[in-house]
Amino acid sequence: MLEPDLAILGGGPAGVSLALALAHTPIRTMLFESGGLEFDAATQALYAGREAGVRYLPLDGSRLRYLGGSTNHWGGWCRPLDAIDFEKRDWVAHSGWPFGIATLKPYFKRAQGLLEAGAWVYDRADPIMGSQAPLMPVGDGGVYTSWFQFSKTRDGVLPTHFGDRYAGDLKQIPNLRVFLHANATALNLSANAASLASIDVATLTGRKIAVKPKVVVLAMGAIENARLMLASNGVATTGVGNQNGLVGRYFADHPIPRDTATLVHFAGDLPGYYFNGAQAGDAVLRATFAPTEEFKRTRKVVGSLTTVENPVEMTELDKAAIVTAALAVGADASNARAYSLGCGLELEPDPDRRLTLTAERDALGMPRLKLFNKVSDRDFQRYRDTMREFGRQLLAAGTGMIRLNYSTRGEWENALDWGDHHLGTTRMHNDPAQGVVDANSKVHDTSNLFVAGSGVFPTYSASNPTLNLIALTLRLAQHLKGVLR
Amino acid sequence: MSERSYSRRAVTIGGGIAAALGIAAIGVTVPRLFRRHYAASPYDDLFAKLIDRDAALPVGHAALEQWNGKAPTRTMLAATLRPRLERRTLAEVSNAELAQGNLREVQGWVLPESLVLLCVLAALER
Repeated sequence: MLEPDLAILGGGPAGVSLALALAHTPIRTMLFESGGLEFDAATQALYAGREAGVRYLPLDGSRLRYLGGSTNHWGGWCRPLDAIDFEKRDWVAHSGWPFGIATLKPYFKRAQGLLEAGAWVYDRADPIMGSQAPLMPVGDGGVYTSWFQFSKTRDGVLPTHFGDRYAGDLKQIPNLRVFLHANATALNLSANAASLASIDVATLTGRKIAVKPKVVVLAMGAIENARLMLASNGVATTGVGNQNGLVGRYFADHPIPRDTATLVHFAGDLPGYYFNGAQAGDAVLRATFAPTEEFKRTRKVVGSLTTVENPVEMTELDKAAIVTAALAVGADASNARAYSLGCGLELEPDPDRRLTLTAERDALGMPRLKLFNKVSDRDFQRYRDTMREFGRQLLAAGTGMIRLNYSTRGEWENALDWGDHHLGTTRMHNDPAQGVVDANSKVHDTSNLFVAGSGVFPTYSASNPTLNLIALTLRLAQHLKGVLR
Repeated sequence: MSERSYSRRAVTIGGGIAAALGIAAIGVTVPRLFRRHYAASPYDDLFAKLIDRDAALPVGHAALEQWNGKAPTRTMLAATLRPRLERRTLAEVSNAELAQGNLREVQGWVLPESLVLLCVLAALER
């Protein structure tokens, strides 16, 4: 029997960040990671499941199960949540975090440091990048130029893989033990179901370990956290933390439809930072187009981040439309260039987009999952409204135009890709009837069980989650220092 | 009768200037020669607002195709457009409509409404 103060289940960005944040404390921590230091097919196969509804990635294809977790295949895209993302918005069902952005702000820069994403310049990048080459003027309206920054290694190679990067640092922490190839297979509640009594851990080679920690943090990603909670139904028959049937519901990801629109820039070629990350000091930045807070409020849309993808050829109709529109507003389009646009969309929270257990079992005897995926027509329409506004303001400014490429649901679905950003399955809310965890990421009615990662996000923003989930994890670390004092 | 003599240099320069002027004249004239000529129409006052009527035609045809036979008649279009364009340039009307969000889509292109209606009228009156 192992008896640490804290058991961290999962060695992805949340688990590794938590362990690093508690490095200089007396807290005796054990981190259990299912995989090893490299990809292993048998371990990866534990992720396999079924998908239904709107086409989604295979459940074993959108994650990686070894130290570093899904940072082993991420693109390094970083952008903080916006203040409005935390608000209860009357046009977004089930919206509202238990706190505002001010609660998370103190942790953003440390999270940025762990991601090696350079100086924090998201909100002052216009003049920095504008000094390299002029930005495309987007005019006044509901869409503005925003910025991604990128995680990178010291040599500027994108991005930071948490296993490779931090395995050595984890070894140096005196009060930390890291167990590789160690899979949590059950969360065992106390008889009165008020706390977690122990955890069952197993290896694929048949070894079994019982762990009795004072506190447990689930950091296995939004899908596996929910799976383990649902499957741990020995005391509470619906699973751990699932007394209100919320675990596994509200699953979300960022839809990434390709070639959603065509952007025409009347003045010719766009600077390179619209297509690729461009170095600025120790930061790597790329421009994106986002709806303003005011536009979100007045037009009742949600987040989206639109990026310029590739130059495209113009048809005769395109050329005619460009000439006609430019002449009509008194602009010169003789050097016009056209580009395809891609985007990441925020979905509205939906309890029916959910994970459930199936009768099928994996090699450890754990029930496999089924994901039912949904995207509503309104999710697509909100993005379309945003891009239509972008087209309006560009033409009003005399700098460009937009062509919207999709108008039917079939067209959207055919173009759909996904961000591999798993969100929402253990959502945060002060009310146990509306959330799985409270404002401190503690599972309601389970005194010593916490959840880290983007599974606790009650709304999702369009920003990529890694930076934000690490900031939230650093906040959790601060809270745990008090809990385990 | 006096006999004037010209140096080879002067002849070369003069010829060059004449050739340049000729090319410039062709450059100005040829597009006009090849630009489509339109028969007189009761809507010429509206078409005069278009700087490039040729370019407006494909846009108008694309809108008609999209509207699938449900386009307004020429009379209705003109009745809609005349009050808007009377004593105003197309640029003034377009910019006002962009500011107000008075837009139409033609095969996905986001355009000011009056511009689209004018293109449709041009396509119907070709």
